[in-house]
Amino acid sequence: MIRTEHLTFSVGRFQLDDVNLDLAPNEYFVLLGPPGSGKSILLECLCGLKQPRAGRVFIDGRDITREEPRKRNIGYVPQDYALFPHLTVNDNIAFGLRAAAAHRDALRAKVAKTADLLGIAHLLDRRVVGLSGGEKQRTALARALAPQPGVLLLDEPVCALDEAMRQSVCAMLRRIQTEISLTVVHVSHNLEEAFSVADRAAILNDGRIEQSGTLDELLRRPRSEFVARFMRCENIFDARVIGRLPDADFTTIRVDAVDLIIPGRFDGHLKVVVRPENVIVESAAQPPAPNAFPVRMTASRDFGSFIRASLAGPPDLVAHLPAAAFATLAAGPIRARLMPENISPIK
Amino acid sequence: MPAQPDKSAPKPFPQSRAAAPRSAPGDRLFTAFCAAAVIAFVVFIATLIIADALYVDADAVRHVVSSPAIRHALWMSIWTSCTATAVSLLFAVPMGYILSRRRVFARPVIDAFIDLPIVFPPLVAGLTLLVFFSQTAAGRWIQQDLGIEFVFQPKGIVLCQFLVAASFAIRSARTAFDDVDTRFENVALTLGCTRLQSFRRVTLPLAANGIIAGGILTWARAFGLFGPLMIFVGSFRGRTEVLSSTIFLEQSVGNLEAALAVALLMIFIALAAIIAIRLITRGQFRL
Repeated sequence: MIRTEHLTFSVGRFQLDDVNLDLAPNEYFVLLGPPGSGKSILLECLCGLKQPRAGRVFIDGRDITREEPRKRNIGYVPQDYALFPHLTVNDNIAFGLRAAAAHRDALRAKVAKTADLLGIAHLLDRRVVGLSGGEKQRTALARALAPQPGVLLLDEPVCALDEAMRQSVCAMLRRIQTEISLTVVHVSHNLEEAFSVADRAAILNDGRIEQSGTLDELLRRPRSEFVARFMRCENIFDARVIGRLPDADFTTIRVDAVDLIIPGRFDGHLKVVVRPENVIVESAAQPPAPNAFPVRMTASRDFGSFIRASLAGPPDLVAHLPAAAFATLAAGPIRARLMPENISPIK
Repeated sequence: MPAQPDKSAPKPFPQSRAAAPRSAPGDRLFTAFCAAAVIAFVVFIATLIIADALYVDADAVRHVVSSPAIRHALWMSIWTSCTATAVSLLFAVPMGYILSRRRVFARPVIDAFIDLPIVFPPLVAGLTLLVFFSQTAAGRWIQQDLGIEFVFQPKGIVLCQFLVAASFAIRSARTAFDDVDTRFENVALTLGCTRLQSFRRVTLPLAANGIIAGGILTWARAFGLFGPLMIFVGSFRGRTEVLSSTIFLEQSVGNLEAALAVALLMIFIALAAIIAIRLITRGQFRL
């Protein structure tokens, strides 16, 4: 549906470098990255508001790199929504339809339908000034959706909303996307937001796509330390290969003074990551097991859905434990155990 | 037994104005100084106007109202200043937009040229125009070959007012466009607008208050113009006389009451213009 080939854009010292994306029709795609990584600039290149220095943009197989924004069949919701303050909610929603010279009756019907879809029919006569954050957000969405674009581009659409509102708006976005079969590119720096809406995501770092894929892939198979850290994986270790298991596709690596078995064949030095929720913490009295080593709990903090435990090794670890599992560790020496399939090598 | 208030409970934050922390003596002095400056200035201006009004008698007002020459000057002041303002806005809107939105080559030089008429000594503006139209080939070509005469003509009043006042309109328009976030235009572009449509439907309405305020300032400057007009178009009764030159003419023949009556008329028109700025912009745009 929307594809970029070697897209490059530079402004000042910043450069969007060789961005390649390929989104399927009706896909909800989230562009993730820290502030300043180039997410909004990439979105503006897709909109046609910024002209790339090199590379191409395709929508529905059509090269639109040099097309004006109005000819791209896109809907765009910028950060802070940029609702037209001199117009009512109704006129904001009708803006794109008027530009397309829609017939008055058709225009009225489309505005009413879009307002119904977003639950803002009661706001149509209101002026933009004085709307709440959530109402502004839905009005901006309605304005972008009314001309029935093929692709919806959302720049941090929920970042100005509180947590509860954010969750409900994310659910609404996903419902609308499914209902009207829309391809959505959603820019965000918030991982929870991505989890609540995304089919797939890409992580941008300093103008480059570090990795794209399903959130599960990004979470469990990060290809770089940056992706691992962005996905909140705190256990990243330098490792050295010390041997391979005979007749098996496993490699033995040494992390600090601990030998670990990981799946696959590797040589030399590498980094490995283990997600905190994949660290098993158990009593040291358990029978010996591979990839198990003694640790000492130095701190713990209750986050409601899990308890974050800091473990002193070597190697030092962070584990996210269910409250029930944590309760069994009250007394006695403990050990950490890592399942080989949960140890992911990265570049 | 009623519950006793818990004396150990923390006291609520003070809510009343009386409980607000007292400001330092230096701060109070500073506030008093600022307020005194405002009062002194307003009283100064009001005193001057009242002094003028007290000097004017009913005969002078009757003379001003009934004099065909003064009515002609009033009409001349109004139409020339309105025309000069309209022409200024015709330049100001596109100039303000391009200067606000685009990187312009040699911007400091262009800005200096735009601001120059504001700091021109008034007589210099008139003298410059007179020299251009009477002493240069281009000026003579416009006047003699094209037949568009400015020197000592009502058209010259408009040109003079435009030269001196257009900078206000251009500066105001640019500031007004600067205040309109480009994201509004960007969204309009993605909603199917061309650049011109996005300008007409979004940017211009959002900048309108600032542009109108600039237009009123321009009009007020043009309306009260005197010095350059005396040099470039003179003050011929019934032809190139405007209200400001009427004051000069009446005063020069010793008719001080009539001069002051015309001055009061101009003051009230200017006051109406300033109030119009406040009403139209409704506090959204501050000059």
